[in-house]
Amino acid sequence: MKPYLWSLFKFLAYIAIIVFFLFPILWIFSMSFQTNDTILQKVPSIFFTPTFKNYIGLWEGEISIEGFATMYVFFKQNLINSLILSVFSVLVTLILGVPAAYAFARYKFKGGEDIAFTLLSFRFAPALLIIIPLNLYFTKIGLYDSYFALVWVYQLITLPLLLWIVRGYFEDISVDIENAYRLDGHSWLKSFFYISIPLARPGIAASALLCFIYAWNNFVFALILGSSSIQPVTVGALAFITASAIPYGLIACGIVVSVLPTLILALFIQKYLVQGLSLGAVKG
Amino acid sequence: MKISNRLFPYVLTLPALLVCVGILIPFFTSVYYSLLRYNLKMPYMKGFIWFDNYISIFSDASFWNTIRVSLTYTFFTVIIELVLGLGIALLLAKRNFINNLLGVLLVLPLMIAPALASLIWRLLINPNFGVVNYMLSFVGVTDFRWASHPDSVMFTLIMIDVWVFTPFIMILLLAGLRALPRQPFEAAELDGVPEYYKFFRITLPMLFPYILTACLFRMLESIQQFDIIYALSQGGPGESSMAFQVSAYLQTFQYTNIGKAAAMMVVLWAICYFLCFIFVRQWHKLKEKTRGVS
Amino acid sequence: MSYLQINNLKKSFKDDHVLKDVNISIEKGEFFVVFGPSGSGKTVLLRLISGIMFQDNGNIQMDGKNINQLNPEERDISMAFQNFALYPHMDAFENIASPLRANKSDDETIDKKVKEVSSLLKIEHVLTHMPKELSNGQKQRTSLARSLISKPSVVLLDDPLRNVDAKIRFEMRLELPKILKEFNTTVIYITQDYREAMALGDRIGVLYDGKFNDIEKPRQVYNNPKSLTSAKLFGDPTINNFTTNVQINNGSININIGDEKFIGKNSNQNINGKYIVGIRPEDVQLSNKKSDNSIKVEFRTKTPLNLKIVYLIKFLNGVEMLCSVSENESLSIDENKELFLNIDYSKIHLFDSNNEETIF
Repeated sequence: MKPYLWSLFKFLAYIAIIVFFLFPILWIFSMSFQTNDTILQKVPSIFFTPTFKNYIGLWEGEISIEGFATMYVFFKQNLINSLILSVFSVLVTLILGVPAAYAFARYKFKGGEDIAFTLLSFRFAPALLIIIPLNLYFTKIGLYDSYFALVWVYQLITLPLLLWIVRGYFEDISVDIENAYRLDGHSWLKSFFYISIPLARPGIAASALLCFIYAWNNFVFALILGSSSIQPVTVGALAFITASAIPYGLIACGIVVSVLPTLILALFIQKYLVQGLSLGAVKG
Repeated sequence: MKISNRLFPYVLTLPALLVCVGILIPFFTSVYYSLLRYNLKMPYMKGFIWFDNYISIFSDASFWNTIRVSLTYTFFTVIIELVLGLGIALLLAKRNFINNLLGVLLVLPLMIAPALASLIWRLLINPNFGVVNYMLSFVGVTDFRWASHPDSVMFTLIMIDVWVFTPFIMILLLAGLRALPRQPFEAAELDGVPEYYKFFRITLPMLFPYILTACLFRMLESIQQFDIIYALSQGGPGESSMAFQVSAYLQTFQYTNIGKAAAMMVVLWAICYFLCFIFVRQWHKLKEKTRGVS
Repeated sequence: MSYLQINNLKKSFKDDHVLKDVNISIEKGEFFVVFGPSGSGKTVLLRLISGIMFQDNGNIQMDGKNINQLNPEERDISMAFQNFALYPHMDAFENIASPLRANKSDDETIDKKVKEVSSLLKIEHVLTHMPKELSNGQKQRTSLARSLISKPSVVLLDDPLRNVDAKIRFEMRLELPKILKEFNTTVIYITQDYREAMALGDRIGVLYDGKFNDIEKPRQVYNNPKSLTSAKLFGDPTINNFTTNVQINNGSININIGDEKFIGKNSNQNINGKYIVGIRPEDVQLSNKKSDNSIKVEFRTKTPLNLKIVYLIKFLNGVEMLCSVSENESLSIDENKELFLNIDYSKIHLFDSNNEETIF
């Protein structure tokens, strides 16, 4: 193919990719600064006077709309829920997962590989297979609609992820460094906290952030195991969009706010993304 | 040897093990339910009917519709994402400012919750103010029904899935491309080998493990996809987008037929397990073959 | 009762029986060298003694007390690893100070002792450097400093000079014994280099086949190895050996090489039969002049090595032998003329042709 045509093709390809993948994000972002008057115009506007009305409304819990009275916005609670669920899930995963990852990395013990593989398989099992009975159990024992129960269920997603990534990081630390520390006179516990964990810190941090992202983005668990009082932004946004008479700018604003945390976090861990996404199968 | 030393790894993994067990209980409960006639609205009818649920779903036309929907969805999403992802990865393979920047930015759709992605697109394709409809009117496409028509809803869903998950394939293959050893390519240059030959006989085979991994992950996710579909169409209009888990959800919460929903999920689980099995075997075979390379 | 007593130590990895029956008694303050070919289990032995690995069977006793059940941090034994094992996230100072932090010394004492040890090992100018900024020699010495600073009862050194370049290796070989004497500890030292073993050790333990086969003073091991394997391990080039008929009676020894014989003086008992004869390359004489009892040989190759020339010669019956000759002596040898070989009969070794054990 003539080089000139090839360059043109590549150029068009770049444009198409940028437009398709990035334009929607930018558009939603701009929509969040618009009121219904601007949005509902025949021709979508690129230039308009932005307003922070939607953001303020989201934060204060109420927004005034021309022609109507003030409207109550529940969305802030969803944000808080997302934060609580994600942060606590990651904390629990760290406490459970880091020692376990160490054990899998350092010791070959009977049933070890089986446990590791079973945990991995949870990542790929249909969620509803587990959730439906859980819903029934939880309702029976009164755990339906509790942060506590949901955080434990989130481990289904976050624990295998952290385990398989951090395991690799522990394996990369030479055992002799830990041995040397013990021969200096320190106990195993001290070597775990002062040698193993510090040396694996980049991996632990990156996988913790990745777990946060996955927890934050989860939809189906909270949909089934909780009511609107503990539901995170993913479920809340859906309710938001189907509710009547909500200004579209406000919905866009809700989406932007829901999406921003993970987008920002992603920029921090982009180095470790490949490892995380392939569960350590591919070393980035 | 000290006994405590032998037990030590178990102590460390005990909590994780408990989670394991905690998950297995509902799993086996589901399997158990699938063998029952169990409807929440008629609890007095609860009883063992063995494989009747399975027989009933396999003879139910709507179940076959579900299989058709899920398989179509999986097939198209995986193929399109693979091709597109590979293409973008090849485009961005050389390290320069634009490519590095795009490599970071293009990951963003992947970081958005799939359910939220559906909502974003819902706003973009809204018949009243959707900017995409506006743009399409320039090329003569007016009144495209997107998610409100059974003929176009699958297209819309697949498009959203492609939007979210192509970056996944792209980032994996990009890492793979950049990790490829240089010698085979340098040798090919010296031999004066044409570009397409280089691509099909060197690049592609060496990328195969990455492609396989990406393929497996995406297949398993697509066949189980709930978030995107539920957030857009809840399985509708009618039953035109009723994929596996969406169907199971409605069975459970609308028709309260737990037994049937459980049976469907067990079938889905079996399909996934089977897929995993095949892929892992292929993976091992590949590992053996490429042991000599690099 | 010796200070460090090891009895019947056994360790296997699946089907690999690395250590089968290790027994050794080491005296307090002794510099004991563990010498053996690669894979013989030397590092495994050290790990068992230090406690970071557990034996399948056997006892380790220190100062009369059984230490089998003690954790590594409880044993008062320190170890310097072959690949240094420095803590990458701490500077050299903290690396060395680590044992003192473990026994909760105060900052002032730590500061003083670290400076003492590091000046002894000539690394006080790099104390603030991180391990990745140190040269191999400096890493080596940091690792040593760390293992010595808390004045442990036993110091284990796993081939410390292996990953260090030749010049530093030579220096350290002279300095190490002096430094260790200052600390007055019992030392167990691993090496694969027989020269290092002979230079450093009070005694050498030759480890192969899963057990110690020779435990002797350096010169003894060299002059009176217990088997052909031990004899082969000491010496470069390795000892020549071939199987042939040997007769000794009335103080006279006949060694048959094909149709010819070596005849010389040897005072050992009466012997007649097939044996393995061992002759070190340096215990032979090559000359262009025939002398009593010398045999004509054919020149094959000549390899100059530092300060010596190694000749490869062949007897008429095909047996080949390496001869090590000093540079000076080789000047008077012309390989294009006829060559004759004679041996130093007082330095011959005889090994049993079945089990390779030394006869003399």
